[in-house]
Amino acid sequence: MSGSGPDIRSRHGGEIRDGGVRMTWRKMLPLFAAVLAVAAIGVLAFLVRKTQTVDNALHLERLKNIRTVDALDVGLNRAVTQVGVSTMVNVADKRAVTTAQLGNALDALENGPAALRGLSPEIDTALDRFLDTIESKFELAFDFEARNILVNQRLIAGLDAVPVAADELVARLGADKAEPARALATQLKTEVTTYGVVQTPVNEDNIRALLEQFEALAAGGPEATQEALHRLRARVNDVIADKNELVRRISDFLARPTAEHLEELEKAYMGWHGQQVAIANEYRLLLAAYAAVLLLVLAWLGIRLRRSYRLLDRANAELARANEHLEEQVQARTRDLSETLKRLQESQAQLIQSEKMASLGQMVAGVAHEINTPLGYARSNAEIVRNALAEIRGLVAAQTRALQLMTSENASDEEVAQALTAAHGIAESIDAEQLTTELDTLLADADHGLQQIAELVASLKDFSRVDRSRTDLFNVNDGIESALKICHNQLKHRIEVIKAYGQLPPIECSPSQLNQVFLNLITNAAQAIADTGRIYIHTAADAEGVTIRILDTGCGMTEEVRARIFEPFFTTKPVGKGTGLGLSIVYRIVEDHGGRIEVRSAPGKGSEFKIRLPLRQNRAGTAAAASGPAVDAALAAA
Amino acid sequence: MSQHPPKARVLFVDDEPRVLTTMRMLFRNQYDVLTADSGQAALELLKTQAVDVIVSDQRMPGMTGIEMLRAARELNPAAMRILLTGYSDLNAIIGSINEGEIFRFINKPWSNDDLTATVARAVAAARASAAAAQAGDGSAPIGPPPGVLVLDDDPQVPARIQTILGADFRVVAARSMEEAVNLLEKERIGVIISDTRVADSPVLGLISTLKQHHPELVSVILTERADAGTAIELINQGQIYRFITKPIHDSQCKITVSSALRQHHRLAQSPELHQRYEVAAPKAQPAAAESPQAKLMDRIRTLRTVVKRWV
Repeated sequence: MSGSGPDIRSRHGGEIRDGGVRMTWRKMLPLFAAVLAVAAIGVLAFLVRKTQTVDNALHLERLKNIRTVDALDVGLNRAVTQVGVSTMVNVADKRAVTTAQLGNALDALENGPAALRGLSPEIDTALDRFLDTIESKFELAFDFEARNILVNQRLIAGLDAVPVAADELVARLGADKAEPARALATQLKTEVTTYGVVQTPVNEDNIRALLEQFEALAAGGPEATQEALHRLRARVNDVIADKNELVRRISDFLARPTAEHLEELEKAYMGWHGQQVAIANEYRLLLAAYAAVLLLVLAWLGIRLRRSYRLLDRANAELARANEHLEEQVQARTRDLSETLKRLQESQAQLIQSEKMASLGQMVAGVAHEINTPLGYARSNAEIVRNALAEIRGLVAAQTRALQLMTSENASDEEVAQALTAAHGIAESIDAEQLTTELDTLLADADHGLQQIAELVASLKDFSRVDRSRTDLFNVNDGIESALKICHNQLKHRIEVIKAYGQLPPIECSPSQLNQVFLNLITNAAQAIADTGRIYIHTAADAEGVTIRILDTGCGMTEEVRARIFEPFFTTKPVGKGTGLGLSIVYRIVEDHGGRIEVRSAPGKGSEFKIRLPLRQNRAGTAAAASGPAVDAALAAA
Repeated sequence: MSQHPPKARVLFVDDEPRVLTTMRMLFRNQYDVLTADSGQAALELLKTQAVDVIVSDQRMPGMTGIEMLRAARELNPAAMRILLTGYSDLNAIIGSINEGEIFRFINKPWSNDDLTATVARAVAAARASAAAAQAGDGSAPIGPPPGVLVLDDDPQVPARIQTILGADFRVVAARSMEEAVNLLEKERIGVIISDTRVADSPVLGLISTLKQHHPELVSVILTERADAGTAIELINQGQIYRFITKPIHDSQCKITVSSALRQHHRLAQSPELHQRYEVAAPKAQPAAAESPQAKLMDRIRTLRTVVKRWV
């Protein structure tokens, strides 16, 4: 029984350890789930942000900026072109306005939230090229503007001079040639004016042909005619040269490839944008996949939840069903349990009985030894005395014979002397005087031995109290004394018993049961003392009852042992040496008497048992004390 | 004591002085009676003078009878040892057999006749063996050692003992007393190891008869049915040399058998020692000669010549 103690403890300890692991796991689980959820949300946020990198508003603004620049560029071209054909001041002003607007628009490309600068190296390169081009275009515009007024005025002057020179030539050519010359002059004037006014004149060949015709008309003419022709030619050439310069400058200006470069810039930007959109699309795809996975997880959790709900429902249903049958089950179980209890009670009664018999046997064996020694010498002494008596009888016979002879008148002196000598010889040989003294000693010893035996038997009777009623008024001190006598042979020579008995009133109790308690506690105390030691027994009384304390200087016990000491079958003795029932019976007897038993112990120092018993039994208590069938049966058997 | 003093010396040890008085009265005519009221006092006394017989109580304060007898065996090996006890537990009895090598147990209360007869036998044995005891162990055994007969119901026990003892020893097995006697007729046996009961009959009769007729045979009891009464009968009527309990412990078994074989050799060499191991006659009269038990005993008696030849 004692062997199972550590097993239970270690098993218990194991559960605690396992429980600890499970507990931390349980505690960790929500934390783990939270971390998982945060991570999932983080991934979601990341993906959403990645899909949001393409800002459509910004993209449109950038495109608008590019279009604005394009429009302004076209506007500038138109303005410059207009300047080319008009000298009106407001046209120049308009160009300045356009230039300023273009500057702002370019700035918007360079800086600001919708800037193109810095988006990608390709865009930067295209932007730089475009800016270089437009800058050179601005320079051309300034040059053109500066030259334009001068050249334009010169051109206007030239245009004004050509009709004059033509009319002079016509006049010089004379009347015969006046008709064709006038026609030529008119044609020439028209052509030249056209040349000067048209934005990009294409009639230079016509002018050259008209001049050739004039030359042909004037061929062979006088010097003055030739000179007039020459002047006309010079004027016309001036007009053509000026006009050509203007046209060249404008076309130079217009030829700056701003539109192409802007287009390239836009293409580069569109390329970049397309890339961004592609990346965003990739992330969008990822996001969709991720969302799908999350949905799957959610679905799985949902299914699990549903399944556990279903299990719960089923368990609930089973519980409900079980509840319906509970009543029957309880009844069946109660029947089983009461049968088991009955069997247990029977076997417990048997065990208690055998414990009683075992301790009784031990007690009897001890008492037998106690009795056998005085019995041994008393019997032996009796035998010796009987043998000695034979010798004494011989002496008495001899002496009687001598006496008879002495008093007899028939006897001769010789016979008397012989008889006296014989009697004397016998007395000498047996040393009658010493013998009788010795016989006295032997008989006294035998007496003492018999007295001892009588006392032992009386103490057995006292202890068992079979000749008394079951409940009686009883002095506890007497019970302790009789228990001490019974276990005297366990204590003698080895253990000093120090008694401090108080004045006790007799208490109502079952004396034989209490004697059993005292014997058990004293025996236990003696067994706890390995070699030599002391047992202190104190008794005291107060208004409610009596207190008995039994202390020993034995080995004591650990807290584990102390806690279990009153359990049935708990024993620290080796297998076969004790049933482990002794103290549980002690406990029951004290409880049955309405008393209390407490134990204190220090390993290596000793133990103290303290019993508190009431003066009077209440009815229930008395009934219980009287109804310990096994205990009483065992004691009755003693 | 080797000078053959007129009276043998007997030491009585008991913590009850009245017992000592009785003993003095009972024996003073025949012997020189010494008394001691404790084990320590007895040992002090033995240091100064040798005795022929020690009769001791078992339960005494300070030192038990067995402890005293074990120490006395060292101090005075020739003295015969008798334990007088009212109540002994089994361990004490086994201890007295194995460590005290005692001659008899006597129960309290004793009968004067039995006690005087037992003390007289002990004194005679002590006197007879005095010379041999002084001569010591004698010569070393010559030739192969005699066999060890194992008498046990369990066929594993002889094998186990052979394993423990090793090849130097010859172990023969018997599962019944008849088999044992057959083997004793054929083989040279020095030691018998036996359980207390074989084939449901007690071996006490066999052991006792063997000891009566072949005192040089040494018996060792190996049993798990340890019982105080049986042990006392085995020592008083069978003079068993050792009493060991199962399960078998290798070293204990080996030491016991070696020591038993030495004892056998000693007894075979010095027949005058035999009286020291003389057995008491069983209380019950032997059964009629027709019974198988009696026939067996007759065969054992006739073994004498055979054994003598081997010795």
